[in-house]
Amino acid sequence: MRAYFTTIWESVSTLITGMAITWRHMVNIRKGSVTLQYPEERWPRPERDIGFDQGEYNVIRSRLHVDMDDCIGCLKCERVCPVDCIKIETHRVDKGEDIPDVGHTGITSNGTKKALLVTRFDIDMTECCYCNLCTYPCPEECIYMTGGPNSEKHQIDYEFSQYDRNDMVYRFAKETSEEQVAIATGENGEKK
Amino acid sequence: MGVGSVKEVGPVQAEQMVLNIGPQHPSTHGVLRLKVKTDGEIVSEVIPYIGYLHRCFEKHAESITYEQVIPFTDRCDYIASMNNNFGYVVAMEELMDIKVPERVEYIRIIMAELNRIASHLLALGVYGLDVGAFTPFLHMFRDRERILDIFELTCGARLLYNYMWVGGVSHDLPRNFESICIDFLDYFEPNIPEFNELLTKNKIFIERTADVGVMPAEVAISYGVSGPNLRGSGVKWDVRRDEPYSIYNKFDFEIPVGTGEYGTLGDCWDRFWVRMLEMQESCKIIRQALKTIPEGGDVHAMVPKKIRPPKGSIYRRTESPRGDLGYYIISDGSEIPFRMKMRSPALTALSVLDEISAGWMISDVIAILGSLDIVLGEIDR
Ligand code: SF4
Ligand code: SF4
Repeated sequence: MRAYFTTIWESVSTLITGMAITWRHMVNIRKGSVTLQYPEERWPRPERDIGFDQGEYNVIRSRLHVDMDDCIGCLKCERVCPVDCIKIETHRVDKGEDIPDVGHTGITSNGTKKALLVTRFDIDMTECCYCNLCTYPCPEECIYMTGGPNSEKHQIDYEFSQYDRNDMVYRFAKETSEEQVAIATGENGEKK
Repeated sequence: MGVGSVKEVGPVQAEQMVLNIGPQHPSTHGVLRLKVKTDGEIVSEVIPYIGYLHRCFEKHAESITYEQVIPFTDRCDYIASMNNNFGYVVAMEELMDIKVPERVEYIRIIMAELNRIASHLLALGVYGLDVGAFTPFLHMFRDRERILDIFELTCGARLLYNYMWVGGVSHDLPRNFESICIDFLDYFEPNIPEFNELLTKNKIFIERTADVGVMPAEVAISYGVSGPNLRGSGVKWDVRRDEPYSIYNKFDFEIPVGTGEYGTLGDCWDRFWVRMLEMQESCKIIRQALKTIPEGGDVHAMVPKKIRPPKGSIYRRTESPRGDLGYYIISDGSEIPFRMKMRSPALTALSVLDEISAGWMISDVIAILGSLDIVLGEIDR
C-alpha cells in the first residue's frame, strides 16, 4: 500500500519539477532565448575588432576569393589543398611586363614581378572543405576567405548557392583564347 | 507432436523475426544498420552492420602530406573535432620530437575540454531524445551553440576546425577570450543542476535507463571499451590521468565513475551520469587553465616548415570524449605517411552492443545504443 502511494507521489512530483523548469523558461522568454528569424536576422559574424590584434589571421571560413592581379601563379595553394579543388594553369611570360590584352598586370601590389601568366584559376567550392590551409602559404596573400578580417578586400559571402553544380566552380582567371595566350607568351608559347 | 496438448508444448518459442533498424533511422546516430533478431519483442541478437560512412581515411592518408591529414581527422569524429586534432598532433609531435610552447599546450587543453563539453552535451541531449524527452535536448543544444560560438571566434569554423597544427595551433586566442570563456562557464555551470532536475533525476528517465543494458566491468574491459562507457562500469581509467599527455598532469580534476545509484553498476543511467559529471570536471580544468595560461609568444613558433618526421613509428593515445583515441603512424622518412591507423573508441563501444542488449526489448536496444554514445563517422572512418 505504501509503495503504491510512493509511486504516485514520485510520478506527480517528477512531473511538477519538469513543468516548473519549463514554466520558468517560459516566463523568462524575453531574456533572449528565442529562435532567430533566420533570413531576416542573422547571428553576428566575428569581426576583426572583436577578434584579433593580428590582422593577418584568416579567422573566417567562407567563400574563397582570389585577387588575380596579385597572384604570381606559384601553385603553393594548389599543392597544399588536401582535396585538390584548386586548378591552376600558367604560362611563362616576360617578367614584370603588363599584358593588357589578357588582363595581366606585371607587378603585384607587394611589388613582386610576375613571371607567369595565369590562364586558369578554378576553385570548386563544392569540393572545398574550408580547411583554410591554402590561405597560409600564399606569398602575396591574394587567396583568402571573404569577410571577417578581409572585409576591406572583399565582402563576406558565406551563403552562396547555385542551381547548377557547375556554377559552384569559381573561375578567377580572365577568360583568354588560345591565340591570345600564344601572342602573350611569344610565338612558340611553351607551356610550363 | 500432440497439437493442442499444452503439456507437451513446453516454453513457448515464437518464430524468430529479423528486424532491420536503420540505416536511415533517427536513433541510430548516423548511418548504422542494426539487424535485430527478435522473439516477440525480446531481442536475442543484435548485429551491427557498419561501413555506410566509410571514407577511406586511413588509406587516403597514405597519399597526402602530414599537414593535410589534419582536416580529415576532423571529419572522423565530427562531434569532437578538436580532440581528434589533438590526438593526431600529440602523436606527430612525439614522433618528430617537437616541444611546443607552453601557451600552445594551454590553448589546446582549453579547446579540447570545451569540445568535450560540447560533445557530451550532444550525447546527453540526443540520449534524452532517444528515450523520449525532447526539452532537455533543446536546452543542451542551446548551450552547445555557445561553445561553437567560442570556437568560431577563435578559428572561424564551427564544427570542423583544422585548428591544431603539428607544433602549434592555427590561431592565437582572440583578445578577450578569457572573459568570454569565463562568461560561458559562469552561465553554463548552474545549468548542469537544471539538466539533472529536468532529465537525470526524472522518475520516468530513471525507470527507462536504470538497470537497463548492464555492462559489468569485466565485459567492458574484455571488449576494450573505454572512456565514459568504461567509467560508467566503475573502472577508474582515464588516459588524461593515467598516461598524461600534453600538460594534463598540471591540472587537478576528478575522474567520475559510475556508482549504480539507481540500479546496477554499469547500466545506462550510470553511463549517462558519468558524462554529466565529466562536464563539470571539464569546466574545472578550463577554469584552472585560464587562470594560469602564460601570455605572449608566437603560437606558430614551433611549426616546422616541412613536416618530415624521421623513420619510425608511433602509437599515442589520448582521451577523446568517447574514450581512448589512438593514432598509429608509420613514417618512412618522407612527407607522406607510410601507414596511418586510427583506433576508434566508438567502434569498440559498438562491438559490445550485442553482448549487453541480448534479452532486452527493442525499445531498450535504442536506449542502450544511445547510452554508448557512438559516432558513426569515427567507426567507419
Ligand atoms: S580551404 Fe582547404 S579545401 Fe578549400 S581550397 Fe583551400 S585548401 Fe582546398
Ligand atoms: S599561393 Fe597565392 S600567389 Fe601562389 S598561386 Fe596560389 S593564390 Fe596565386
